[in-house]
Amino acid sequence: MTATTRAMNMNERAIISVRNLVKHFPIEAGFLRRQVGVVKAVDDLNFDLNEGETLALVGESGCGKTTTSHCIIQAQRPTAGRVLFRIGDAEPMDLTQMEKGELKEARRNIRMIYQDPYSSLNPRMTLLQIIGEPLVIHRMVKSQDDLQERVAELLRLVRLDPSTMNRYPHAFSGGQRQRIAIARALSLSPKVVIADEAVSALDVSVQAQILNLLKELQNQLGLTYLFVAHNLAVVKYEADRVAVMYAGKIVEIGETEALYTNPRHPYTEALISAAPNPDPDTKHRERIVLSGEVADPGNLPGGCAFHPRCRYAEDRCRQEIPELIEVGGNEGQAHQAACHFADSLDLTGIAGAILREEGESA
Amino acid sequence: MDELAPPDSAMNGSLLSVRNLQTHFFSREGVVKAVDGVSFDIRPGEILGIAGESGCGKSVTSQSILRILPRNGKIVGGEILFQNDDRTIDLATEDADGRVLRDIRGKEIAMIFQEPMTAFSPVHTIGDQIIETIRIHQEVSKEEAHDQAVEMLRRVGMPNPARNIDEYTFNLSGGMRQRAMVALSLSCRPKLLIADEPTTAVDVTIQAQMLELLRDIQADLGMAIIMITHDLGVIAELTDRVMIMYLGKEVEHGTVEDVFHRPQHPYTRGLLASIPKMEPGRVEIEPIEGVVPNPYAMPSGCKFHTRCPDFIAGVCEKLDPPLTEVAKGHEVSCFLYGGKEGLE
Repeated sequence: MTATTRAMNMNERAIISVRNLVKHFPIEAGFLRRQVGVVKAVDDLNFDLNEGETLALVGESGCGKTTTSHCIIQAQRPTAGRVLFRIGDAEPMDLTQMEKGELKEARRNIRMIYQDPYSSLNPRMTLLQIIGEPLVIHRMVKSQDDLQERVAELLRLVRLDPSTMNRYPHAFSGGQRQRIAIARALSLSPKVVIADEAVSALDVSVQAQILNLLKELQNQLGLTYLFVAHNLAVVKYEADRVAVMYAGKIVEIGETEALYTNPRHPYTEALISAAPNPDPDTKHRERIVLSGEVADPGNLPGGCAFHPRCRYAEDRCRQEIPELIEVGGNEGQAHQAACHFADSLDLTGIAGAILREEGESA
Repeated sequence: MDELAPPDSAMNGSLLSVRNLQTHFFSREGVVKAVDGVSFDIRPGEILGIAGESGCGKSVTSQSILRILPRNGKIVGGEILFQNDDRTIDLATEDADGRVLRDIRGKEIAMIFQEPMTAFSPVHTIGDQIIETIRIHQEVSKEEAHDQAVEMLRRVGMPNPARNIDEYTFNLSGGMRQRAMVALSLSCRPKLLIADEPTTAVDVTIQAQMLELLRDIQADLGMAIIMITHDLGVIAELTDRVMIMYLGKEVEHGTVEDVFHRPQHPYTRGLLASIPKMEPGRVEIEPIEGVVPNPYAMPSGCKFHTRCPDFIAGVCEKLDPPLTEVAKGHEVSCFLYGGKEGLE
């Protein structure tokens, strides 16, 4: 089988398949800007985004989650690999091979929402212009009346008052601005929405409104979400499946509940343990506090990139890069981890953390 | 009040006692009552959390204590009593640039911020800055100050203090900068440390390191901490008592156990219900309806009444709810628990 045919094979439920995706940034130095190294921001990533699901990419800063989302919509061109996108029963298209003009249709169907609604909305444009702009560019409206009607409909969809469409973003709070950004993202009736830290800048009471709104819109419109985030509790609430990234690679991917209650990678275990929980009873629990900091993607340690911070690391981890392999999920659900000792380690998830506390206090 | 009053008489053993603090901001659009009558005490060695969403006045409260408010912000009422050895000083009425406050700032009360890069000068080594702070407040030789600085860097877990002391902040990673900032703030062994969102800009694993560091160093040095954050997880993890604020007012106040397990104010309940939980199974979240009102057009009566699910018509929009004690040391400002007698 040639590389092309193998790569063009998509899982039948997948709407986007990322295959061997690589994004390297050169490190240049000196007067002649000679390349002295490379930042491996995304390093051989493989995953499927299934139609109608919410897949979360979680990880700390520098893990490559945002670069991955940029490579999917070709805002940054990947160094290697494929991003296959399929609409309905049509032939999958490889977005990495397409010219700018050819990407228009794909980009109409894959839209983004960004973190900061204060910088992502043009302050000199009214809501009508902000939300209507994609409709005009893609020639999806015939007249000004048609445009106003569509924008009013979109504002109602995100629970904003359509009579505000001639106002400017400064008149709105953070949560309302994020609704405007969502309305703009949905204006072209996309299939996929990539939400890059879409609720991270919001206050908790408003964050909850937006999380619930995203869920309602997904049910109503049959959207598929790629949810890029660092907050594990938010991801637990929002996602069906979770991919945990570390230093440009997926270290674990599986169904949300299985991954949180039964993590199979030590990094996932540590992330779960470190997430603060608003319950003072958990104050005295044994926390796994990782030493050191996230691996520098410009200067990765040999072997497993996580080994310098891993409390289970052995010699093999310093030498061999672990593959992302199936570790056996519940009821045949796929659950993969990239750890040499995924099968032998007894790791603690959220249920375990709570049970262990009860055991201690009893 | 008499500045030379013996300790304990007025302060009841508190290190800091904030009483009816009012800090307003004046601008062309009007007056913003950023802090509108807030009172709390903190005892030596205690960890108090102040929590609330943007605009609730938690940061302005801390800036008022240290008198480092932006130029258009003014303390217009109330007292900030600080017990400095055997003297009680009202920080609210002292000259913000005067000797008394300059002696207290950095020495008796220190602060750490969200963004460590803003706390340090980029053109001096971290050692120079820590040594400068020590030498301003203590009469020690350069060598002694140097040794103290190295010792403090070691305590906050810098990997190689003797070398790190000569580094510039841009050479340090985010987590190391945070540690250096803690070392700088603790270099004079303050009695009170104010931490304003110190873990908001960092990753969870670094946040866990930071919380562990604050806990250890508090146990070690025994200073009191005021932890200001919007993250109720951080509050639950670190503090003994918590004050919840909304639009410049205190809404609820008590031990973390009381406030998190038996929340009384509808706003506190709403906040807790809107946070996704790290618990097994499906746990629904319920947002608080509506948006935080415009600070130039604050609601009358209880500030929360426009979003409150338990709104009592004819009461909540008319009167300011007084603080009511619902259990020992657990206070709530809400008419559900009394205070509406005055109306009838």
